This record gives sequence, C-alpha cells and structure tokens, in this order.
Amino acid sequence: MGDQPLTPRSRRRRLDSDSKWGLLMVTPYIVHFIVFVLGSLLASLYFSFSHYDILNAPQWAGLANYKKLFHEPVFWKAMWNTIYFTILFVPLQTILALILATALNQKLRGLKFFRLAHFVPVISSWTVILYVSDAIFNPRFGLANSFLIKIGLDPQKWLQDERLVIPLLVMIAVWKGIGYIMVIFLAGLQNVPSDVYEAAEIDGAGVFRKFMHITVPLISGTTFLVLILSTISTFQAFEQIYVMTGGALDASSAGGPNKSSLVLMIYLYQEGFTFLRMGYASAIAWVLFVILFILTALQVTFQKKWVHYE
Amino acid sequence: MTLLAALLISGCSSQGKGSGEVELKLGFYSSAQSDEKMQELITKFQEKHPNIKIKTESSPYNQFFQKLDTQIAAESAPDIWLSDGVLVPKYAERGVLKDLTEWIQRDLKSEEYYGLDFNKDASGKYWGVPQGIQIAVLYYNKDMFDEAQVDYPIEDWTWDDLKAAAEKLTKDSNGKYAVDSSFDKNKISQYGLTFFSITEGWMTVLKSYGGGVLNDTLDQSIIHSPENKAALDWIVDGMQRELFPTPSDLKSFQSNMALFPSKAAAMRIGIYARTIDANNAGLNYDVSLLPMGPDGIRFSPVIANSWVINKKADGAVADAAWEWVKFWATEDEVQKEWASLGEAVPVKKSVANSEQFLNGSPANKQAFLDSFEFAGTLDVNAVWSEWVGKFNDNINRAFEGEIPVDQAMIQADQEVQKVLDEFYKK
Repeated sequence: MGDQPLTPRSRRRRLDSDSKWGLLMVTPYIVHFIVFVLGSLLASLYFSFSHYDILNAPQWAGLANYKKLFHEPVFWKAMWNTIYFTILFVPLQTILALILATALNQKLRGLKFFRLAHFVPVISSWTVILYVSDAIFNPRFGLANSFLIKIGLDPQKWLQDERLVIPLLVMIAVWKGIGYIMVIFLAGLQNVPSDVYEAAEIDGAGVFRKFMHITVPLISGTTFLVLILSTISTFQAFEQIYVMTGGALDASSAGGPNKSSLVLMIYLYQEGFTFLRMGYASAIAWVLFVILFILTALQVTFQKKWVHYE
Repeated sequence: MTLLAALLISGCSSQGKGSGEVELKLGFYSSAQSDEKMQELITKFQEKHPNIKIKTESSPYNQFFQKLDTQIAAESAPDIWLSDGVLVPKYAERGVLKDLTEWIQRDLKSEEYYGLDFNKDASGKYWGVPQGIQIAVLYYNKDMFDEAQVDYPIEDWTWDDLKAAAEKLTKDSNGKYAVDSSFDKNKISQYGLTFFSITEGWMTVLKSYGGGVLNDTLDQSIIHSPENKAALDWIVDGMQRELFPTPSDLKSFQSNMALFPSKAAAMRIGIYARTIDANNAGLNYDVSLLPMGPDGIRFSPVIANSWVINKKADGAVADAAWEWVKFWATEDEVQKEWASLGEAVPVKKSVANSEQFLNGSPANKQAFLDSFEFAGTLDVNAVWSEWVGKFNDNINRAFEGEIPVDQAMIQADQEVQKVLDEFYKK
C-alpha cells in the first residue's frame, strides 16, 4: 500500500482520459441526436403551436390546435380506438407469448422448428400478412366465411364490420408479433436457474404450480420490459391498420368503416400529410408523447410492487 | 473570393444569364408504360431548344405527391410539374402556383382545345394547362349482354333503363338472373353495374339528377337536397338488390377497378384510362354515353391532368417552363405520341378527332369526345380529398344499409361544410 497517495491522482487522470475517449466515441451520436432528433422535436413542438400547411410558412396560433383537438369528436374516437386496441392486444400477446415460450423452452426434439415457425410472421412485411389474412377474412372468397356458411351461420363482413374490425386486427397483430415477444421471454427463461425447479419438484410441485410460483415471478423483469414495449408499439400502430383498412386504396378513407379502426397514428398521418394540417398533426403527436410518457412512468413506478430482481 | 466565385457560378447556372443556358427542373409522376415515352418527348424538346437543359424528377404517383409537398416546404420543388387534375386547386389556392392566365390567352387558342377551362377557378384565373384529359362514359361487356339477350345500351338511356338492364345482367352462382324468382342475392357471380368513388360513379348520378355536392363558388355544401335524395335512393336500391356491388362487396376484390376487366360486372362507369385494362384483358366491350337523369340532364365528370408552373420560377426559367407547356399543347406530333399510350384523351381537338385517336378499341371512341358537351369537374377545390373522405364515410353507410339516406345526407352535409368552413372562412 506504499503507493496509496498516488492512487487518487492516477485514477482521476485515467478517468479524465477515459471520459475524453468516451465523449469522442459518442460524439457522432450526440451530433445525430441534436440535428435529427432534438431539432425535429423542437420544430414539431413549435409547429404544434402554429397553423402550418407545409406549403407556406407556419403562422403562430397559440393554443388553437390543442383547443381544437380536445373539442374534436374524431380525436376522441381515435383515442378510444387506440386504447381499446391496447387493452385487447397487450395482455393477450403477453400471456400467450409467455405460455408459448414456456412450452418451447423444454428440451425436446424438433423445438427449433416450432420456434422458427412462430418467428416467420415477425419478419414478414405487413403487405404479406395482408394477403394471408385476406385469404381468411375476405367477405366473398375467404375461408372464414365459407366455414361459417358450412356450419349454417351467417357470413360476416369481418374487417368491414364496425364491431369486429379492432378485435380482428388485434388477433392478426398478435399472430404477427407473438414470435418476437416469445424470443424475449425465451431469453428470460434461460436465465431462471434449473435448481429452483428441481427443488420444487422434490417438494412435489406440479407443472402449473411451478409455472405460477417460479417462472412468472422470476421473469417479471422480462415481463415488465415486454409490457412497456408492447404498450408503446400499440400506441404507435400504423402500418397494419393503414394497409388493412383501406389506406392503400385511398388515404383519406383509411381507418375502417365509420372510423371504427381510426387510431391516433392514422389520424395524425391523415391530418398532417393528406389534409396538410401539419400544426394540428404535431399537436396530436405531442399529446401522444405525453400519454406514453405518463403510461411508462406509471409502469416504472408500479414495477417495484411486482418485479423481482435476483 | 472562392465563395464569391461559387455564388456567381451557381447564379449563372440557375438564372441562365451567363451562357444563355437554362436548367429546367421538370417533375412528373411516372408509370412503367409512360416513362419511356416521356423521356423520348423530353429529348425531342431539347433538340428544338438547345439552350434549355431539362433535369427530370419522377416517381410513382403516391410518392411523387408526398415528396412534392415537402419539396415545396424546403423550396426545392421542380420548376414545372405534372399535377393530377384534382390536385391543381390544392396547390393553386395555397399560393404555390404561377397564374398562367395571360400566357394562355396570349399563346393558346382556346377553341382548339378540350378542357382548358377545367383548370379555371371561380374568379376566372387559369392555373394549369391540361396534359391529357380523363372523361367518363358507360362501358359495357358485349359478351355478357349477348349471353343474357339484352340490347346494348343506347344514348337515350335514363338511369332507370340502365337499372332495368342491370337486373337482367346480374347473375348468381347458380346461373339465375336477378329477374328470376329463384335468384339468390347472397351468391352473386356477376353484377349488372360496377360503381364506385366520386369519379367513376356517384357524382355522375347526383349531377344528372340535378343535384351535386358543392355550390358554384365551391365553398358551400349543397348535399342535403331532394335531387340528391332521389339520386342516392336510386343507388341504394340498386345496391340493396345486389345489382351493383356495395363498398364492402368491392373490398372482396383486389382493387375497386378489377370488376369490369375481370368479368365480374357487365357495365361500369369509367374514365378513358380504363380502356387500357379492358383492352389488356381482351374484353369484347364497347362504350356509350352516360345515361340521363329523370329530367334529361346528363353529366360526365372530367379530370384534366395538367402542367403547372412553380410560383418561385421566374425569368428565363419560367419562360423555359412555358416553352415546355407550349411544346406539349400545340405540337400535333407530341399530342399524337402521347395519345398512343392510351392513357388520356388528347387535349388538342385536331388530334383527338383524328383517325389515329379514334381507331382501335373500343369501337365507339367518339363517345368520349361527344361527352365533352355535358362534361364538368368534380367540384374540385383546395380541400377536395378531405371533403370526399367525409362524404364517402357517411354515404357508404347508407350504401351498406346501415343508416337511412336522409341521415347520411344530413351528416355528410354537416361534415363537408365543416371542412369547407375551416379552410375558406379564415
């Protein structure tokens, strides 16, 4: 310990040079952030307080866009559709993906095939998914209706039906997204030590008890991540709904029958890019940001109650 | 010094003062069929005008207009571009286009052209020169008429005559026609008439019944009227009896436009460009004038896709842009070349009335030209795509039988008026 007096100084010097290197390494990111992220963020914040039709310079409008937003029935409809989608989608996908991951975490032959099979829809584009789901839900030629007719029920309009459109979109989205969430859960499951299960088995616990009392609590950190990711992704859902409810044919009528699948992102896109009300669209974007921020903050606060870290 | 030099050079190339050379940025939406022809015509133009250098900017339809808006915001838009006819007022009324009134009056003889007036606004200003014209007629599949032993459409038809024929031409999957008592309307294999959207459908019916959507100054909704009610009742009745597909029936097909060329419908209301699909599908078809309303009124909707000039273009660049417009509109050769693609009716009357245009399929191409007599625009204004969306949202629910026609008209009227007020009452 003879060199004790030197240690703080040398450590400090090393830290300094480390942080210089560190700063240098992150400079490209910081520049990128300032120019392309912070810059656009501030611009969109400014636009949200102005009338801006893209083609002419923005004009300051104060709170006009926000006032209009809160008095606009279509906005509230879009808000409800988004929340409805999230309420159905997030729990359904999380629970099914966890069950699937547990099943595919066994040491059996052929599991790789099943894991792969569930991942294929994840990497397919929405356009491909559209063709697949059209083969099933096409009101005239689809499998679903020919099945209904065969068992003596009335054919449905499926995606053209106000009541069915969101549940159907959720089902299709779960089918497409479940592989991705399953992989995250699989990674979490691999980290659960097998001796815990062995101990439980010795105590005579069955499959269900092991799942509920060991698996679920021990991967709660992963579950937490999945919940945040899924919630954010549903609030940002755009492509699926745009492609599947008519946007590809006619941008101004995307959003399903009687706006029953008009979610916030589609509403934002239409107002901003189709109807040239970029100021109003920016206001929607900021409201969306605030909602997501609050939701994520709530989830982080409540995680202390139920997330276990080893 | 270098900065100064750079400024001078860039100044020269864009203003064209130094060497007398002008660079013209030309934008157009392109398709696989038309791209080559456009390039050919550009080369010809440059041979005639060696001092004008054309730089093209093109992309498929949707991307083109999406990009254009941001380019205008960034002041990097083309000096001249091809605009869909329905989008001309969107740009004109937001102040990004050059007023072409004086130039058109100076250089183009309006009696030589079809449809220069389709780009005229309510105050008489011209904002573009048509590149080609889309006009609607009634298409009919001769084989299906023959099979059902129905007489071909004639020019005296009213909409009720058309519906009577449609009834004899609508067939279920057992081969029974709609006039038959055992006809099953849940299993249609062939519709009498296909019908959708503002252009190729409902505007024609509304206007020939004496109704319409907007007033003459295009800032007031006139949707809620007895004339429109009669027209919409006619449509809804046809749809409820499955003689025409409803909007959700149409969703069963890959595209709204697929029914006629794929032989799922015996008749359609269609613009000139639809002859391409029909010819490619090898249909045995012809065209006729659109039917009349109950009081003998006819209406054929028109879209004049047009060359428009950027307001920011000035001096030599603006002159060069106008040279391009003149080259396109006045030269028979150019008009003929473009017409050979079959995408649009030529703007110049002499070319449209020539054998070169009138020959070929369908046999009665003259119907397109005769339709100019009762042609009109689609009440197009600066917020066109938005009010069309609101109109469709409500009327489609009546078409599906979810709400009565009256309710749909009242709601559409309110929502369309709101869109108009928001833009025009500032």
